[in-house]
Amino acid sequence: MNNGFSIKPYLLIAPYLLFFLVFVLFPVGFSFFLTFHNWNIISPMEYSGLDNYARMFNDRLFWQSLRNTIWFLVIHIPLQIIVALGLAVLLNSNIKFKNFFRASFFLPVIISGVVVTIMWQQLYGFHSGVFNHVLSKIGVSKIGWLTSETMAMPSIAIMATWKNVGLYIILFLVGLQTVPASYYEAADIEGASAWQKFWFITLPAINPTLFMVIVFSTIGGFSLFIEPYVMTGGGPLNSTLSSVLYIYKQAFEFFHMGYAATLGFMFALIILTVIIIQKRFIETKDE
Amino acid sequence: MRKSFTYIILIVGAISFIYPFFWMIMASMSPEKELANLIFLPESLTLGNYAKMFDKIPIGRSLINSVFVASIVTLGVILFSAMVGYALAKMKFKGRDLIFYIIIFTMTLPFQITLIPNYITIVKLGWVDQYTALIIPFLINNFAILLFRQSFMSVPQALIDAGRIDGCGELRIIFQVLFPLIIPTIVTVGIITFMSTWNEVLWPLIVIREEQLMTMPQLVTLFSVGGRAENQLGVKLASAVLLALPIMIAFIFFQKYFIQSMASSGIKE
Amino acid sequence: MTNKALILLTSVLMSCQAQKDQSNELTCWSANDNQEIEFIRTSISLWNKGQETKVSFQPIPEGQSSEEVVMAAVVGKTTPDIYANMWQGLVELYSVSGVLIALDTIGDFKEFITERCGQKVVEEITSSDGHIYQVPWKINPIMTIYNKKLMRSIGYENAPRSYSEFLKAGALFYKDFDEDGYPDQWIGDTEVKNIWHQRLMNFYPLYLGASNGAPLIKDGKAAFNNQYAIDVFAFLQTIYLNGYFANESNSAGSDKFIGGKLATKWTGPWHVSSLEKFKPDGFEYEISNLPVPDNHQGPIYTYGDPKNIVIFNTCENPSEAWQFIKSLINEEGDLRFFTTTRQLPRRINLSENPMFQSFFEKEPKLKKFAEQSKYIYGTDNCEVLIEVLDIISQEYESCVLHNKKTPKQAIEDAERAVNVLLGNF
Repeated sequence: MNNGFSIKPYLLIAPYLLFFLVFVLFPVGFSFFLTFHNWNIISPMEYSGLDNYARMFNDRLFWQSLRNTIWFLVIHIPLQIIVALGLAVLLNSNIKFKNFFRASFFLPVIISGVVVTIMWQQLYGFHSGVFNHVLSKIGVSKIGWLTSETMAMPSIAIMATWKNVGLYIILFLVGLQTVPASYYEAADIEGASAWQKFWFITLPAINPTLFMVIVFSTIGGFSLFIEPYVMTGGGPLNSTLSSVLYIYKQAFEFFHMGYAATLGFMFALIILTVIIIQKRFIETKDE
Repeated sequence: MRKSFTYIILIVGAISFIYPFFWMIMASMSPEKELANLIFLPESLTLGNYAKMFDKIPIGRSLINSVFVASIVTLGVILFSAMVGYALAKMKFKGRDLIFYIIIFTMTLPFQITLIPNYITIVKLGWVDQYTALIIPFLINNFAILLFRQSFMSVPQALIDAGRIDGCGELRIIFQVLFPLIIPTIVTVGIITFMSTWNEVLWPLIVIREEQLMTMPQLVTLFSVGGRAENQLGVKLASAVLLALPIMIAFIFFQKYFIQSMASSGIKE
Repeated sequence: MTNKALILLTSVLMSCQAQKDQSNELTCWSANDNQEIEFIRTSISLWNKGQETKVSFQPIPEGQSSEEVVMAAVVGKTTPDIYANMWQGLVELYSVSGVLIALDTIGDFKEFITERCGQKVVEEITSSDGHIYQVPWKINPIMTIYNKKLMRSIGYENAPRSYSEFLKAGALFYKDFDEDGYPDQWIGDTEVKNIWHQRLMNFYPLYLGASNGAPLIKDGKAAFNNQYAIDVFAFLQTIYLNGYFANESNSAGSDKFIGGKLATKWTGPWHVSSLEKFKPDGFEYEISNLPVPDNHQGPIYTYGDPKNIVIFNTCENPSEAWQFIKSLINEEGDLRFFTTTRQLPRRINLSENPMFQSFFEKEPKLKKFAEQSKYIYGTDNCEVLIEVLDIISQEYESCVLHNKKTPKQAIEDAERAVNVLLGNF
């Protein structure tokens, strides 16, 4: 219809452009500018060249927070996939009360992270928590869910899995339902084992979902904040210091805005790289 | 045999997902001294913690604030994102692909980068302690734009052309001609936006300090980390229950839509 | 149609631009705590009755977020005229940045404060540039509250006074009733979460007690690598190694002290108010000094947790603001503050002041804190004090809680890190 220049599309996207300029482009530009400065918010800025970058590479806690985040992902992603896929497969069979089960798995997804964190902090208590209470009743020794250096991050990963897995159950369920029943029937006739059926029929069908779960969980892992902030403050021994919590500490506790911005940029870069690598990896596997 | 195994796992699963909520609700209704040993049911149930909480913080007012803010944001996101999504899907113009990539890029940006400068913007605009600070920055949502774009792409071009021949403006085409066709997307965007706005904590913490304007999650967070609960766990948990309750009730009634919209949001991505 | 929407949008955005009117009112921010709000509200209504310049107030979020709010207001130049709840440890940062008014330049400020608080306090709050940027206002000294019945159960009439007595009591009190291999009651506990300000509740007051109020930072250098600090770390490390303290965050579970599972608690007067409100029948408690090294001589100092009042440079009428502040902290103001909030005004000889006697008779527990207020210290005037405390926190965690270092090594490492930090500024 309209082959010539038309202003209409630009008017439609005008609100977006305004938003983009004010709330994305300006802040990103400003933050980038900050990475070359020392600024405690209230005093005038000082130009500091590449000091912030140099400091970052020598900062033990920067590397630790990166390691912590990766450790979180290493636990969280497989756990998420196994639990989600397992429950989805069970839900996909011919059972009663399907809606009830699905809804109960989904419930934590919609609840505010604040509520979930307040709740789990009580369950995880060492002396008074429900989990340890039950453990000691059945004669197993108590676990320092949030107080032991080795357990704290896994505990947070378990909680995060509990919170999000409902969504992935649903996504896998949708993926599973796209596989025609006739495939499995044909496989049965051929005498395929359950494992073979899973590997050759189910897995290819849910591959796109798998990718999504991995990407979403990666982004989620890199934005882990409220859980360690409320439950552990980043401890014990910095074992739950997540990248965002570290940025937050630098920015809002020590008021090193320039350094915090530098960390923010670095982590953004890392997230993008990780996602690109994941995409490559999964796409080549597809072929 | 195999069937009962399936049921056992599902039931154990369901219990582990529901039990923490159950515990929290019971704990919020149990007397403080019984909390330490509470596993299942307290010996006596009381609403005292709720009464104390209502006494201490304007939780009712914050509920109204949250509903108001979340509703306006949801409405705004649907309107603006539909406009942008439509332009990206059905119109050809210079820079369209660029805009599309910008949206994707923006989605991957960690919010930490933009937090401080955005706060400064809000201050300069004089929006601190105003609803506008909670509403305007959230009126555009990249994810919603992508969802609308996706769903407008599947709408037949003929409908749009027919609309134009009838003399409809683009806005009428979007909101009158096409909207009835993409109701699932609207519901999806609506539910997701409402939920994420409802659950947002960090931003309100920074831009709102007038207690009468605080949103519910903000008030509950401040209440549970601050000293006003006077170290009374039951009262803190009561405020957390109240924060979870509206979404839980909505979920019980509109379960199907919640699940469908979250599921479809994933697939189309 | 499209045009209209766009115009609508821009006009909405434009109209939201705030129009703040310039008036000769004073605004005051206060802590967001019911009692303090009540105090400030009453004080303001008293003031507004008799004065031309009207004052209004706004409570701001408490704790960590309050600092963020103030920072943000400084950036946006939307600071109030008066802020009545500034932690003393932050004043230096703000004054160096030039956003506070030097109060010693206002009329009778110095005489008034010297008379109210004494010379020692004036010295403590004087900034490195020789000016004073804060009105010393309120304190909450950290002391030991102990459960009398529980202490009696191990044969103690009072809380243990020295480190070795405390450790002995800790061992006696360690009991595993249900035989699950873990104690079910503890001699005390203190927050294990690694957050810098938690050190103000354990390490710092104990250090001040051991050292008779020595500074952490002196002449721009770390001053805490001494036997006192090492003793405190060793004392706390022994406690945690033996499981005498509960090893979980305070926010897990309900209040253990009120639940009768802790014999002592290091805390401030605010805890007395909540105990009075929620204690079960027959719950008896008393207040005493923090434990000190066995060979300690002299009075026992502690941390006073001072919160002060400042005037921001956005204030157009600082001397009027000072007049209002005076009405908050003169004897009537202090008495009203004390009785409403049960926090202590930072006033010299508070426990002997005749005006407060009838209140002390009603509140003998608070009198203990008032007596302690003779021997308190606030914070050093250091621009990066929070980071200093964070460094100490890191070492505290690895030495005291997790036994990864000896106390000597931990204090040495902390000293080195703090000196590197201070060298950078």
